[in-house]
Amino acid sequence: MTLPKNVYMALEDIVGAENISDDPAVLDSYRYSLTHTAIHLGPFFDTYTPRGAAVLLPGSTEEVQAIVKLCNKYKVKFKASSTFWSAQGYPSEDNTIQLDMRRMDRILEIDEKNMFAVIEPGVIGATLQAEAMKVGLNTHIPGSGCSCSTLASATSYFGSGPSNLYGGWHYDNLLGLEWVMPTGEILRTGSLGSGCGWFCGEGPGPSMKGVARGFIGSKGAMGVYTKCAIKLFAWPGPGKLPVEGIVPAYKTSLPNNFKAYTVAFPSWKAWADAAYMIWDTGIGYLAHRQFNMFGRDLKYAMIKILTDPTKTLGDLEEILEDPEVQRVTEYCKRDFQIILVGMTRRDIEWQEKAFDEILARTGGWKVEAMHEPEIHKWVLLYLIRLGHKNLNLVFGGSYDGCFGLLGSADYGTAHAEEAAEFKKEWEKRGAMVEAGGDCMMGPIGGQGGGGTCLWENFTCFDPHDKESTDGTLEFFDACTKLGLEKGWGVGMEKWNSVARGPDGRTTPKEERDRIHLAAPQPSVFRYQHRIREAFNPNDLGDAYYETLEDS
Amino acid sequence: MALEDFAAEMDRCSQCSYCKWIPFDQMKSWRFAKNCPSVSYNNFNSYSARGRYAVARSLMRGQSGYSDTVRDIVYKCMTCGACDVSCKVCRYNLEPLQMVRELKFRLVEDGQVLDEHKAVVESLDKEYNTMRQPKTGRGEWADGLEVPRLFSGKAEFLYHAGCRFSYDKDLQKSVRAAVLLLKNAGVDVGIMGEREMCCGGRVYSMGYRNEFTRLAKANINAWAKAGVKTVITSCADGYHAFKRLYPQLGSQVEVIHIVEFINRLIKEGRLTLRSVIPMSVTYHDPCHLGRQGEPYVPWKGVEKKIRNQIIVYEPKKPRYNGALGVYDPPREILRSIPGVELVEMERIREYSWCCGAGGGVREAYPEFSMWTATERIVEAKATGAEALISACPWCERNFMDAINAMGDTMKVYDIVELVQKAI
Amino acid sequence: MDEKKARLMEIVGKAGVFDTPEIGESFSLDHNLIPPLKPRFMVKPRDVVEVQKIVLWANQTLTPLVPVSSGEPHFRGDTVPTAPESVIVDLSGMRRILKIDRRNRLALIEPGVTYSQFLPELQKEGLRIAMPLLPRGNKSVIASLLEREPVMSPKYQWNLLEPLRSLEIVWGNGDRLWSGNGAFRGEREEDWKNGLVPVWGPGPRQLDFYKFVSAAQGSMGIVTWASVKCEVFPDLRKLFFITAEKLDDVIDFTYKLLKFRFGDELFIMNNACLAYILSNEPDEVESLKDTLPLWAVIVSITGGHILPRVKVEAQENDIWDIAQQFGLKMVPGVRGCRSCELLELLLKPSKEPYWKLRYKGGSQEIFFLTTLDRTPGYVTTMHSAANEHQYLVPDIGVYIQPVHQGVCCHCEFILPINRLKGVEMLRIQELFRDASFRLFRQGAYFSRPYGIWADMVYNADARTMLVMQKIKKIFDPNNVMNPGKLCF
Repeated sequence: MTLPKNVYMALEDIVGAENISDDPAVLDSYRYSLTHTAIHLGPFFDTYTPRGAAVLLPGSTEEVQAIVKLCNKYKVKFKASSTFWSAQGYPSEDNTIQLDMRRMDRILEIDEKNMFAVIEPGVIGATLQAEAMKVGLNTHIPGSGCSCSTLASATSYFGSGPSNLYGGWHYDNLLGLEWVMPTGEILRTGSLGSGCGWFCGEGPGPSMKGVARGFIGSKGAMGVYTKCAIKLFAWPGPGKLPVEGIVPAYKTSLPNNFKAYTVAFPSWKAWADAAYMIWDTGIGYLAHRQFNMFGRDLKYAMIKILTDPTKTLGDLEEILEDPEVQRVTEYCKRDFQIILVGMTRRDIEWQEKAFDEILARTGGWKVEAMHEPEIHKWVLLYLIRLGHKNLNLVFGGSYDGCFGLLGSADYGTAHAEEAAEFKKEWEKRGAMVEAGGDCMMGPIGGQGGGGTCLWENFTCFDPHDKESTDGTLEFFDACTKLGLEKGWGVGMEKWNSVARGPDGRTTPKEERDRIHLAAPQPSVFRYQHRIREAFNPNDLGDAYYETLEDS
Repeated sequence: MALEDFAAEMDRCSQCSYCKWIPFDQMKSWRFAKNCPSVSYNNFNSYSARGRYAVARSLMRGQSGYSDTVRDIVYKCMTCGACDVSCKVCRYNLEPLQMVRELKFRLVEDGQVLDEHKAVVESLDKEYNTMRQPKTGRGEWADGLEVPRLFSGKAEFLYHAGCRFSYDKDLQKSVRAAVLLLKNAGVDVGIMGEREMCCGGRVYSMGYRNEFTRLAKANINAWAKAGVKTVITSCADGYHAFKRLYPQLGSQVEVIHIVEFINRLIKEGRLTLRSVIPMSVTYHDPCHLGRQGEPYVPWKGVEKKIRNQIIVYEPKKPRYNGALGVYDPPREILRSIPGVELVEMERIREYSWCCGAGGGVREAYPEFSMWTATERIVEAKATGAEALISACPWCERNFMDAINAMGDTMKVYDIVELVQKAI
Repeated sequence: MDEKKARLMEIVGKAGVFDTPEIGESFSLDHNLIPPLKPRFMVKPRDVVEVQKIVLWANQTLTPLVPVSSGEPHFRGDTVPTAPESVIVDLSGMRRILKIDRRNRLALIEPGVTYSQFLPELQKEGLRIAMPLLPRGNKSVIASLLEREPVMSPKYQWNLLEPLRSLEIVWGNGDRLWSGNGAFRGEREEDWKNGLVPVWGPGPRQLDFYKFVSAAQGSMGIVTWASVKCEVFPDLRKLFFITAEKLDDVIDFTYKLLKFRFGDELFIMNNACLAYILSNEPDEVESLKDTLPLWAVIVSITGGHILPRVKVEAQENDIWDIAQQFGLKMVPGVRGCRSCELLELLLKPSKEPYWKLRYKGGSQEIFFLTTLDRTPGYVTTMHSAANEHQYLVPDIGVYIQPVHQGVCCHCEFILPINRLKGVEMLRIQELFRDASFRLFRQGAYFSRPYGIWADMVYNADARTMLVMQKIKKIFDPNNVMNPGKLCF
């Protein structure tokens, strides 16, 4: 479908000829494969999001506003994305123009004293962290890694990651926000709107930031966020990460106030007890069950590969035969990673002692093999910079997560093993990587200070292989069925299937309505419908913003 | 190989955009975080490796066709390989650099060529060089050096100057110095002089596989006739061609870059650098000496799966990810020059930023090429260094042109030039 | 009988409806800048069902409702009806503490639960809650959190609404909705055992419902239930003072503490504010002011159940070192106040009379959010305005409370006033108006816009006002919820 010429010309006038394209090949590079990490839907073999009508690269808020106003005038749908990783950032309908926010990539300000940064959508976690570290600060990085847009994570999706515990998840960290609303007006929230600066996103009075994002964001379906302030936190380390090692086994030597541990527990109850105690005690800078994403049976072997520049996946089988690897693998079954960071020498000493006490009380232990110096240095860099999240797809080229078991630590640990066993049986059928069933990854502390965990069970498959992809979909359907039977609800494997279906396009209304009516509070979606009517009357987004009409 | 051989990779590309950035672990600032000049300059996703995977798939499936835009996308890739390094920080079963090369080969095969490249190829056909200069002048750089010509003689070592050094008079100090160094070290070295032929590396990276093959075979034959066992060069482009591409066509000569040789001499005590050169310098890793300068390991095998869906290779496939490039010898040389202070840029070694000259970009997109070089100059200046040193004439020429255009005074030296000053 | 009264009695029972003149007085204004309107009735619902019925009735009859949870006195005018024939919905009778769960550190409470009631119950379970500074004993915990009153421990505030989590809300249109994951309700013991607990604040899904009732002055809906996040009751606690002659001299020190998240309760006060807190009688105030340091950072250090002594000792030594770096000294007491004395006061609600009223019987507050580094400038402005309006500068209490882990701070000026002196009251009103505008123009962010501040901020931020009005139309289409407040 092509954009009417007059509309194209008008858009070209806004962004300049070099920043707009409707060449089919260019547009096809802005289609997402739904065989892939579509994020919580599919996978659907050989299916892509619809081709956009044009792709634009706006360079400023003014340009974005002009584009959005034009879209309202001509009733053209639009969808913005910053890094285009995951289907959420892509159109669900034909005739949608795509905004690639990459040119708006400035870090406008880092307020060292008040610990926040003001950023544009193209700023990724890695560059923000690099700049923040120069002034003794750090940024929370979401679980998808430092290649992702901090603003997008904070405004449009979830924003949970390994440093939730100390850094807060991005819901907590979002301060002032500049939002080009779906009709083209600009809302500046909180203190920003009052002309007082970026430091507070709430108010005045009731917080209209609550229209922009709730538990999750609007996934690109309600206007465009063009700037935000994001809260930072202390980094008592060097101004630049000292990186050593041969690619890809980069590692960092940090001072003694940085300690990374992998710990394991004799039971899931003990694991949960430790999580609660860590939260109670207020220690920890970062806590995540990260490497288990490779699978219970494979994780340690993968660490051996990743920390050795001479090794590749081709060495996996040989490494797995090593009895020592087998021993460690068994030893760190119920594990997680934690980084303790002391603001001072006394602080790290106290945290270490407290942590040892927690381990003693719960029967947990430090996995010594993971503290071997070269591995320790690798783990520190991996978790702090979180720049290897492409490893999610290392095996076959794709993955998605199932189950989730989002809730308190007791909740997830009560069901983790059952979910793992279920997957383990399915792995035997061949469609997915056989990794030991428990491939669950997630934060120890889903929000600032702790409180919840998430158990995303990684399911790795080959997106080029129809049997693998179809088999994975079959497995995900089975996960959903099990989840409903067990009262766990619909898992992560389907969290976005309300938005998009097997043809890559918006899920039909009847299906969306069915899903929403079955929710614990359908009125939530009815209110979202009213919000959409009020703020997006021309309906220029898509069903990633979930709505239910009044009956 | 053919583009179709990458169909699986087109589906398996993570779509993560790691190919647009230096390895994240290595990022030290916002300013110098990007790795791919193509997407950094042009911005559309299609100008990145992940974008080119998608474009290639679209073309292959007939979902889109050739256009000016497609040619622009494909040919504005310098084939610098930075995307490849970044991708492979995590991925073990993707080859983005090989894929973009195949994409170029396909366009050339289908006649989708640029006039500027055609002109280079024509020059190559007629004059055996990419500089559009008469072949008769090729050996003039060596006048007065008393070094045997191997088109009529034999020697164990061949010094290959390369097209750029042969004709770019500003840079010739370096190749003359290199040959003298070799002679003084007692190396049985000769040159091909006016009979020297282009290595073919440049046109290879433009997408002209057949032309490259023709040149390569001609060179291999010429070396065999001259009894050459080792080829030494000061040109990174040539180094890469001889070391990584020629063995695929049967070449068995050893290939050494001059920096490796000089470093060996220094380590063995056969060369001492005594003159003080009080200067702070920064070193630019040429793509073809650094991340693409890894030893060639022959491999023939197939893909297989373990654990149901983990993609590996039978036999184990060698991994080209920049780990084993030539990074340390030039640095060791610089550190052994008295008075020289080496300060590093942020993007170095396997994640170095390209100079902008490669892949036919300098020839076809001079503005983009200059922008790329200017970016590097800005990065070099940010170190506070007085001079930018490299080990490839294409890099040096591009930097000199950029500095000139900027009106700046930063010096550019080939490393051999500096060594010669220090002897 | 009045039809409305009859209908209300049907809903809440006879004993739950009040129409005596006294109710008018108890809700009349301390604030004096807003003309009060006496309410028509007051009703005391007993549960959410009754609340919902009241709201639905209000929609049918277009009767304004003013929800109130705390006991008197009320300060800020938000509970003063500004529409005729209003009905006060007094939630103080809904005062159950439904659950205190030590493991998840969550409590479920109704709106009538006050700090006096709540704190001892929490302590029995080994918990406490991040508290505002000396709230009134009859202050509703939910109301305080909904008002975004700053809490004394910035390190626990991951966002400005903390420690508020899930809510049960009856909207102005009569709908009942649970925000966060309040749909779990937490009524069943097995749910708690299984970890199905209302621990989240935001959402559900893509709207942040609880933000719409936050600082809304009851203009969007009525909260009938909340889960709140608690902290561990410490085994060990120490309090220290770091004093200075000038506010500027403690700013960077405080920033350091905030950056490192050292200290638990952490705030800055001037001598006047501290004197108001410490005094029992009005005539103690002046001598206390003279004795106490001009400025003090007050920081407490707590140790929980795991190695409390180790932690407290480590932080005590570290904060001492940090103070030294800034040329300051950390002391366990100052002339006029020992740490145990202050700690004893801070850990409980205010004794009667409420501390702000003890000096002169009345109090005017000006408060806003800003960043810590700008506070000295605002103090100067306030002093300047006070001088111009002949208000004694030494009487101005200054309370600076870092919030949201130090990203910003609540800056409050407390102006004790004698309400009986008419001339003085007029001057105070002028000072209040003038100072508010000057501070606002200087960059003070009035995030909780009571009274005249509402016009001030919404005139400057018309876009937010328009968005709010759209939200109001959705959740309270008939504008029955406390009309006349904010920009409604």
